[in-house]
Amino acid sequence: MSENQKGREHPLSMIINDTVKVFTELGFEVAVGPELEDVYHNFDALNVPKEHPARDMQDTFYIKGETEKVLRTHTSSVQIRFMEEFAKSGKKPPFAIIAPGKVFRNEATDATHEMQFYQIEGLFIGENISMANLKGVLSYFYKKMLGEDTNLRFRPSFFPFTEPSIEFDLKYKGRWIEMGGAGMVHPSVLEKCGIDSNKYQGFAFGPGLERLMVIKYLMPDIRDAYHGDLRFNQF
Amino acid sequence: MKISYNWLQNYFEDKLPEPEEISEGIIFHSFEVDEIEKVGDDTILDIKILPDRAHDCLSHWGIAKEVSAIFDLKIKDKNYKIFEPKYTDLKIEIQDDKCLRYMGRVVRNIKVDASPAWLKEKLNAIGQKSINNIVDAANFVMFDLGQPIHCFDLDKLESQKLIVRNGKAGEKITTLDKREIDLDDSILVIADEKDPLALAGIKGGTKAEVDINTKNIVIEVANFNPTTTRKTAKKVNIQTDAVKRYENEISPELCSITMDSITDMIYSLAGGEVESIVDIYTNKPVERIISVSSDYINKRLGSTFSKEDIKSVWDKLKFEYTENTNSFEIKVPALRLDLTGQHDLVEEVIRILGYDRLEEKLPEIKNDNTTNDSYSKMLQVRSKLLNDGYSEVMTYVFCDSGEVEVLASASTKKFLRNNLTDGLKESIKLNLLNIPLLEMKDIKIFEIGTIFTKNGEETHVAYGDKKNVIEMSLEEFYKKNISILEPTNVQPQNPDIGWTSVNKTFKPWSIYPFIYRDIAVWVPESTEPNTLFDIYKELGTGLLIKDPQLVDKFQKQDKVSYAYRLVFQSYDRTLVDEEINNIMTSISNKLTSLGFEVR
Repeated sequence: MSENQKGREHPLSMIINDTVKVFTELGFEVAVGPELEDVYHNFDALNVPKEHPARDMQDTFYIKGETEKVLRTHTSSVQIRFMEEFAKSGKKPPFAIIAPGKVFRNEATDATHEMQFYQIEGLFIGENISMANLKGVLSYFYKKMLGEDTNLRFRPSFFPFTEPSIEFDLKYKGRWIEMGGAGMVHPSVLEKCGIDSNKYQGFAFGPGLERLMVIKYLMPDIRDAYHGDLRFNQF
Repeated sequence: MKISYNWLQNYFEDKLPEPEEISEGIIFHSFEVDEIEKVGDDTILDIKILPDRAHDCLSHWGIAKEVSAIFDLKIKDKNYKIFEPKYTDLKIEIQDDKCLRYMGRVVRNIKVDASPAWLKEKLNAIGQKSINNIVDAANFVMFDLGQPIHCFDLDKLESQKLIVRNGKAGEKITTLDKREIDLDDSILVIADEKDPLALAGIKGGTKAEVDINTKNIVIEVANFNPTTTRKTAKKVNIQTDAVKRYENEISPELCSITMDSITDMIYSLAGGEVESIVDIYTNKPVERIISVSSDYINKRLGSTFSKEDIKSVWDKLKFEYTENTNSFEIKVPALRLDLTGQHDLVEEVIRILGYDRLEEKLPEIKNDNTTNDSYSKMLQVRSKLLNDGYSEVMTYVFCDSGEVEVLASASTKKFLRNNLTDGLKESIKLNLLNIPLLEMKDIKIFEIGTIFTKNGEETHVAYGDKKNVIEMSLEEFYKKNISILEPTNVQPQNPDIGWTSVNKTFKPWSIYPFIYRDIAVWVPESTEPNTLFDIYKELGTGLLIKDPQLVDKFQKQDKVSYAYRLVFQSYDRTLVDEEINNIMTSISNKLTSLGFEVR
């Protein structure tokens, strides 16, 4: 009980920082973007046109009095912002970025769902970056975070901004757990950002980090993370 | 979409694998399966069809084609009854291009009746109510082929003419579920020469409703613009299975086979005389050809699939193709509106061959060591506050008041925070109550997070204790408190990253109140340091939720006073004072018996 005791870290923050560390050690660079995002970067640039059922795939918070703003529903918007800037600067791929960030979904909360949560966006574009590379990177990451005794598998899925799109599951402590979505960046997303999709290709992923936290520490309820309750800071 | 296993079986001569195996195949090659449920002697698979495949897979036929590709099973040929041409007076006029195709067909002298048992059973199995043989047939064929169908009572029309046109201001329609809808010129309707009869692609109206006395009907099999159908459905707030299919866009090519199927079915269930089809179809979509090479596919997948592997996929999916020296020319099936370019065919190859055939290849990343300025500042500020004894919290972005409001929310808190201080103060209050549990002397906390004002968003930091909370922008805190002499690169120094920390487990806390007691005791200087601790731990019972905490210690001559704090809490009930008093008494008795003096 000494006066100069170090403060206690928030477990989610520990997960985020560990995540960033694993990826930056691999060579990924950190990128950030706004939480209050415009509709273009959150949807249109990601192949989710207005009045298309794909917009219903995520429950979105729209902003009163601002028809062109939303609380970002995913960190994929950071991909767009990064690539736009990158292309404008005249640089050429490869590039690899990682973007941890808070995202928002307008849905009822329960032990496994929150209205606000963290995603870690990854994006790697180059001349030969493949889906096998995606599998390699994700597998490496989860082994680092949860131990060598984990297995990764892909299942087909759909996101408007990747093709092919997949969901990936992780086998951890004998159980398959759904972890998140990923895929090869859709050529038209690259083109919209000014990157030649005939020459360059690559992958993107965006799993949630609360999921990783509750699995790693066997937590019963993700909502405890946002109550400002120090009983949560146990490690 | 709910898919009946028995219904699916009708598509195949061969016995299908068991439902669980079908489900597994679908999960790893096509779609997520949300649920498998036994209903009578049938099994229902609830399959999650996402927008890319809602064009062709919101139907048993669509799923049958997937099952055929996954399990390499042959689908039976469809043999619908062909009707001889027969003169018809039916006229159809399309006045707006929101209607892409309209097929109409009159059937006279039908007998509206209850549906046969097999049909009721099939519809019940997928959660649909049986109404009568005509309505049920239309429903059945929609769930079978994916194309919505509507039937009108011909005798309730002003004449034998259907007009597809926009609604007019002031016009109204009463839908089959008895809702009155005001029309306007954005809403496409099917009308007779006087009144609107149906909201195109959305719902029928009461004027030409098929009922038990209906003798003559017009069958509608049509295609409508996905975007305008979706907009109208939202505007009038009607969601139907038809809307779901139209808004996702279906091919107008689907109309022909659907008309054959529904006519066959109505004829066999209700008899009648079938007239010729009237088909208004001016803009037939062009045939789509996609050229793709094995090299392109392998380059994107990072694989080494042979031409034979790839050809096996086209064959299983029944794609017609020609093989050139370096590429395949694929003729895209009309219903597969999701396939628009070669990148889409990459997915077809890997999902059918199986993602388990994809290797894990860790790429090399050339890194010029760029650090993100705002992220590294955040890390430095965080590290500084932790070192200064502040613990980190996270609170909700949503609150009761602020400057930026969300339009609609699943929660009652509709504003975005415009400061961190309010949340931090609440957090301090909460944590002060739990001080004995937290084993802290006082509460010092901080949060780094985004706040939202009329001027936009900004990352703030707030920190404080029960007396005072200070908040400022991260930028300002950084300038004031982080010396430029300190190393700028503070990657989080977490030594136990990876498998060493795997075994840390979170302990959920009890929701019941805790009780704590402080106890101070004089013991001789020579007493073993752990004596008191061990006694408390032993006699404190399982209700002692924390290790005894030494809160004070001082010495007077040859005696030492130790003050310990004991915190009691149960995981399943509220403790009463009396039971804690009993525990404390037994502790006191023990201490006294050892000759210690309880202060």
